[in-house]
Amino acid sequence: MPEWKPEIVRRLAALNLASAREAEIAEELAQHLEDRFQELLASGNTDDQAFRTAIEELKGEDLLARGLKPVEREIYREPLAPGRPTRSVFQGIGHDLRYAIRMLRKSPGFTAVAVLTLALGIGANTSIFSVVYAALLRQMPYRQPSRLITLAEVRQPTEQYWNASYPDYLDWKSQTKTLQSLAGFSGDGFVFHGGGEPQLLPGMQATASFFSTLGVKPMLGRDFVSAEELADGPRVAILTYHFWRTHFGGDANITGRTMKLDNKSVSIIGVLPREFEFVPAGNGEIWVPMHLTKDSGMRTRRNLRWMPVIGRLAEGVSPEQARAEMKTINARLAKSYPRENGQTQVLMVPLRDRLVGQVEPLLWTLFGAVGFVLLIACANVANLLMVRAVARRREFAIRAALGASRRRLIVQVLGESLMLAIAGGALGFLGAFWGTRLLITAIPQQLRDNMPYLADAHPNGVVLAFLCAVAVGTGVLFGLAPALQLSHHVTSDALKEETRASSGAIRTRLRDALVIVEIAFSLVLLAGAGLMVRSLGALLRRNPGFDTSNLLTFSVNLPVASYPKDPDDVQFDREFSDRLRNAPGVIAVANTSVVPLTGGGNTVRFVIEGQPVATGHEDECDIRDVSNSYFSALKIPLLAGRYFNDSADSANAPQHVIVNEAWVKTYVHGENPLGKRIKFTYSPTQKYREIVGVVANIADARLDSPEEPALFLPFAQDPNPFISYIVRALGNPEAPLGTVSELLRQQDPQLFPIQPVTMDNIIAQSPSVFLRRYPSYLIGSFAALALILAVIGLYGLIAHSVSLRTREMGIRIALGAQRRDLFRLVIGQGARLALIGVIIGIAAALGLARLIASLLYGVKGSDPLIFAAVAVALVVVSLLASYIPARRATRVDPIMALRDE
Amino acid sequence: MLILSLVEARPLHGYEISKLIERRSGGTVRFHAASLYPLLYRLERQGWIHGQWVEKSGQRRRRYYRLTRQGRKVLASQLRSWREFVAGVNRVTEPENA
Repeated sequence: MPEWKPEIVRRLAALNLASAREAEIAEELAQHLEDRFQELLASGNTDDQAFRTAIEELKGEDLLARGLKPVEREIYREPLAPGRPTRSVFQGIGHDLRYAIRMLRKSPGFTAVAVLTLALGIGANTSIFSVVYAALLRQMPYRQPSRLITLAEVRQPTEQYWNASYPDYLDWKSQTKTLQSLAGFSGDGFVFHGGGEPQLLPGMQATASFFSTLGVKPMLGRDFVSAEELADGPRVAILTYHFWRTHFGGDANITGRTMKLDNKSVSIIGVLPREFEFVPAGNGEIWVPMHLTKDSGMRTRRNLRWMPVIGRLAEGVSPEQARAEMKTINARLAKSYPRENGQTQVLMVPLRDRLVGQVEPLLWTLFGAVGFVLLIACANVANLLMVRAVARRREFAIRAALGASRRRLIVQVLGESLMLAIAGGALGFLGAFWGTRLLITAIPQQLRDNMPYLADAHPNGVVLAFLCAVAVGTGVLFGLAPALQLSHHVTSDALKEETRASSGAIRTRLRDALVIVEIAFSLVLLAGAGLMVRSLGALLRRNPGFDTSNLLTFSVNLPVASYPKDPDDVQFDREFSDRLRNAPGVIAVANTSVVPLTGGGNTVRFVIEGQPVATGHEDECDIRDVSNSYFSALKIPLLAGRYFNDSADSANAPQHVIVNEAWVKTYVHGENPLGKRIKFTYSPTQKYREIVGVVANIADARLDSPEEPALFLPFAQDPNPFISYIVRALGNPEAPLGTVSELLRQQDPQLFPIQPVTMDNIIAQSPSVFLRRYPSYLIGSFAALALILAVIGLYGLIAHSVSLRTREMGIRIALGAQRRDLFRLVIGQGARLALIGVIIGIAAALGLARLIASLLYGVKGSDPLIFAAVAVALVVVSLLASYIPARRATRVDPIMALRDE
Repeated sequence: MLILSLVEARPLHGYEISKLIERRSGGTVRFHAASLYPLLYRLERQGWIHGQWVEKSGQRRRRYYRLTRQGRKVLASQLRSWREFVAGVNRVTEPENA
């Protein structure tokens, strides 16, 4: 059988058909020739004759090609022909997208600027969203996390405490019907002997019901059982996944093994799942059952509120029903125990709010700010596209003239926008990996320990979906305006108009509006950044009431086994402090139960002699045990009376207290408190203590916390085996650390400094500073980005309008306008837009400032200084952006301008 | 018109079309492949006929053309004007009062 196809294909070569089409034609014709060939054979021709006759059908070399040319060209060689009515919607879109890519590749400069702008906007958004998602949107890794609530005993519903007493917890547990289960937990710490230096391990203790209340099952081994609760010390432990991996190499047969905690052997009964996290546990890695000695006040005292409690709502019970029931139970307890519970109420807050409540306003603020950046980026790209659209009006006009429908043109412009957005999104996604990492590492380690959920913050499926939505959304957002604009304009007169561009009024207004919006958004961001920076400054400038320079802090934990009695603690402290004080480079040494600015600490209820109070309604304030040297070492000014001293305030001396200024103001209303006596009410054996001194207030819990009334007791009269030291160094506060370790070891080889940290670091890492510094940097960078984008947008607009109005300028000059007038005309255009933008921006910023009120410190949301500065800055920058085009306008040569036409 | 009327009855492939035309015209009208197929593609492009590859067992696949709805209308109007034309011509050429 002869080969027909090569003959045919040779004749089709000149047509340059798409290969699929060529093959189809060749096949059909070959079939035809073969039929003819067979017929000729059947009628008695020889092979050779039949072949020659059949090939005759093709009629020479070029007839076929000539016949096919007009038909095939039209169908198959012009798939990108813009504007041809499409047979299938998708085919059309495919063509349009390919066409869009080709057009974008033709102007690489424009494409690069647009894609980078979008990548910045989308990348920043995705990074922040990753964190927002991990912290706020993702479900907590518990069973039905929305059914979990927290319970706290407070005196005012505004109090932040999350504590309850153990006896109250037990009563709640036995009486409630609306809560399916209740559990308590508390921090703990162990000296872990795992080979090498003993190390202090942060850990947690929890009631046996804790994990089941959360709905968490150990991955290996078992949960606590109630018999294990309340032992003298922990006998069993459950490890976190991380600890199990790092300290036991992920040994699958770990359960039943033992480890040494605080010199005691503890058997490991389980390992928590990998995804387990619990914010209040911080970096605690070992969980043990609640262990309280029989006579411990923590176990027996109803008015010692130390244990955070969580609960799970029973099936079908609403939070309101549970609140109502707890109110009843609480009233019953108040009646039975008026002294302890007379004034307390039970505060029930969803667990989620407790865990992420602090960072929630911060994150939403950042998310909002970064959203503005994206909107500005969109406005800018829209502006760019519209400028380009002007240049391409003829292209579109021709296509419209060739029959492209309006819809088709819109689809094509949108296609270009989408391509830009997708490219920007892809680049932004890569940036987001890096950005998310950066966002998280910028959080001080200590705070990150309290945000375990951030370990999960990385661009994942949900984030990717968000990114795609944002990319497509932005593509449509910035593409729609130019698209509608263009197709609207293109129809009739663009062809005639040529370059005589009196830029259409609608388009101009739209572009003006975009620039105004950009300026307004920039102002909002700048104002926000300004407010945050001012807050941070105010916070850091705040005098905490003591000299924070050159301070080193650390703690020492005296094992009860070696230091069984109070005097042992006092004895240790006296010896250690004396030796340290005499060490080189050390100026002063003090100890305290709570290092200032680290938060926490106890409160105590008291009565003032001669001021009777109903039982249970006593006043309550902070209480701190401090060494006699505390006030002088921290340079806390004495306002009246005296500091503690070794002779008058020793362990056996009469009991004394020192109060702070806020205490005097609150409880004795400014009267002279010296000589007054107070008594603590937690135990009937307490005696009256005389007030011997008044000291100035210090920022105690946090740098931004209000000045709270506080009482100070001499350490010698109320010692504790967990002692926090504060050392003032001659220079670098870290320098004495070596000496500290050495002296501790010399005095007792089992001791080591726990959590040594300088006061500067405490401040730098404190949540109050973080909550301002972090957004200051971030919103500041967003604002800078926004400003740059807005200025580029404004510059582009003015420059473009000047170039479009060259002829007008020429005429004006020809008619006698002064160059000064032209300069003013152009600058005026920029200034007008800037002013409108600034006014709108100020209004918006004033409204939005209310939303970030909780993050502000020492500055009002409407701070006139900031608003004035930001407004002036924006106007000045806008004028600068208009300056260059304005200069160009004055250089227009009227003859050239007119001749150009 | 010739092709349209041929594929009106049933779908045909190109060779059949050329043979039918040849046979029915008694050999007076002959299409070579070089002119038949461009014509077919043009008719298809105009949407009057529709070509489709059909495979029958034991044979190589062939492209069959059938009349489309639009083609049917076109054919009807072409036939009408053709008949009118032929009638007109006849009236002119017939001997008067024959």
